[in-house]
Amino acid sequence: MEEIVFGIGITALAGALATVAGAAEDTESDIGSQGDPNSQVQLAPQMGYIHRIFNKAVAGEPPAYGLWVALGAGLAWAFMAMQINPILAIVLGSALAVFVQGVYATTAYLGRTASLAKFGQPVYIDILKSMTTVTMAHAFVAIFTTVAMCHLMIGALGHPFPLPLLGLVWGIALGAAGSATGNPFYGKERQYQEQKFGAGVPISASGNIVRYAEAGQRNSLDNGFFSAKLGGPASGICFGLIVFFELWRTVVFEELSIWGPIIVGIVVILVFAIIDRYIEVWARKNFGPYTAPEEAST
Amino acid sequence: MSVKVEVGAGGIPHNQILIYGLVGSLVLIYLTYLNTITNTQYFSFFGGLAAVAALIWGTDTIKHLCSYGLGTGVPSAGMIALGSGVVAAIFGATTGIFAPIVTIIVAAIIGAVAGLMANHVVRMDIPVMIVSLIELAIVGAMTVLGLTAMACGTFEFLGMITGTVEFLGFTVQTYETSVIGGSIVAVIFMLGAIAIQHSFNACLGPGEKQDRTLMLAAECGFLSMITVAIISFAFIGFLPALVALLISIIGWIYTYVKYIELSKRDAYAWLDAKPILEPKGGA
Repeated sequence: MEEIVFGIGITALAGALATVAGAAEDTESDIGSQGDPNSQVQLAPQMGYIHRIFNKAVAGEPPAYGLWVALGAGLAWAFMAMQINPILAIVLGSALAVFVQGVYATTAYLGRTASLAKFGQPVYIDILKSMTTVTMAHAFVAIFTTVAMCHLMIGALGHPFPLPLLGLVWGIALGAAGSATGNPFYGKERQYQEQKFGAGVPISASGNIVRYAEAGQRNSLDNGFFSAKLGGPASGICFGLIVFFELWRTVVFEELSIWGPIIVGIVVILVFAIIDRYIEVWARKNFGPYTAPEEAST
Repeated sequence: MSVKVEVGAGGIPHNQILIYGLVGSLVLIYLTYLNTITNTQYFSFFGGLAAVAALIWGTDTIKHLCSYGLGTGVPSAGMIALGSGVVAAIFGATTGIFAPIVTIIVAAIIGAVAGLMANHVVRMDIPVMIVSLIELAIVGAMTVLGLTAMACGTFEFLGMITGTVEFLGFTVQTYETSVIGGSIVAVIFMLGAIAIQHSFNACLGPGEKQDRTLMLAAECGFLSMITVAIISFAFIGFLPALVALLISIIGWIYTYVKYIELSKRDAYAWLDAKPILEPKGGA
């Protein structure tokens, strides 16, 4: 019994770490316009819309985060093998992984922008200086929390995988959660505020992303504020729930039978499918399709 | 049937890069064997240099393959390259001194099977698919074998699965602290997979230039070498790992500065804290 209570405590802690990781991951990738929003940021100059938005396409988020977290975990594992204290090892490993992330981000922006010279898109060095550092800071939070979570799973729950392999698996899961949950908030809403509500995005509007802010010109830090408000927390909850339910079903139901966690996993998926379906139908009924605005009668 | 879109025409012909990459990486991997001959670990860094040579070749192959309209397929090409490569490299490593050559042969077979599947089962019908996937599998295998050899000082399987741990003053051999046992191979897999696809993915566009893309490939290779050099402190001696780290850092700084210069050359304008320059006539 005591073991189960301890396990649930660790599960909750891992879920909390994962929530922070998800929120930081989505904010980081949105500031860099990685994943879903990238195609329009890349397309805009070709349609004549010169912009000051950071464009760091390293890969899709799942492979990119697979690398950052696996690298952080691998370096932390190596430092631990050199008899360095685990906390310090995880911090050092994450810091070095963030260095690699920052270098990849700068080369991606320079490469993409230089290749768009034909369309008159200049390289803005100040974007590189101010935004790379912000993405690196968010990436550090995401990598550190995920590696710490993996270390907890091994150290406290006795997961049989070595740290780097667990880092790879959870890194890909983290990138996938952020990419699927958080990016639509930015990619499908924030970029298209010039279109009328309900107008959809016709081909002629492709690349017509929002380039001017309330005051002055919009850069990716403004998108960071927006992501931190909606997309980030949503991704955090998504990834936190994934980690929590994944560990919870094993910790609690493994005692009953070897099939316990598997059956509970299927039940959890079914329950979430029903909830998702309900929300989708409710949202369709209330928000779409577009109707003429109603005017006040008096 | 896909139509070929020529990007960044000109530059060094692909076949020339293929030969340099293949021979270069093979020779450089064999240079790590000097470790066994001289009974030291100072030659481990040649493994990393082999990976850099392979990555430059692989980048050009990806550019060749992806000129058939595979925009979002660029990262996937990196994944399949390293996915095929890691199997070939670990199988090849079991054959002792013949490891690099066996790895190339096995990787070519895996790549050919993957290419035939892609073209005839999935029906992608891209003319260069089979050849490109063979090349990519070899590149992936050489990258894994090279970086692994750099981490543990040898390309032989026994060295990859034995690590040492200090216990009560005694040095004990264990599987858990080895390159494969500690899953460092998973880190190397991701390092290679992102490095191989990043250069072309980052530089694609109408203004893509071969020298800039290949310089970025070398930069990615050296950056991967830096991290593997740091990890190698856990497996090989302090001084050999330090030599590897220094060589990687020098190579990385040189290629990074060069890459920024080349980007400056190709960019439309290089501005600092300037507003948007709206094109003539507006959008």
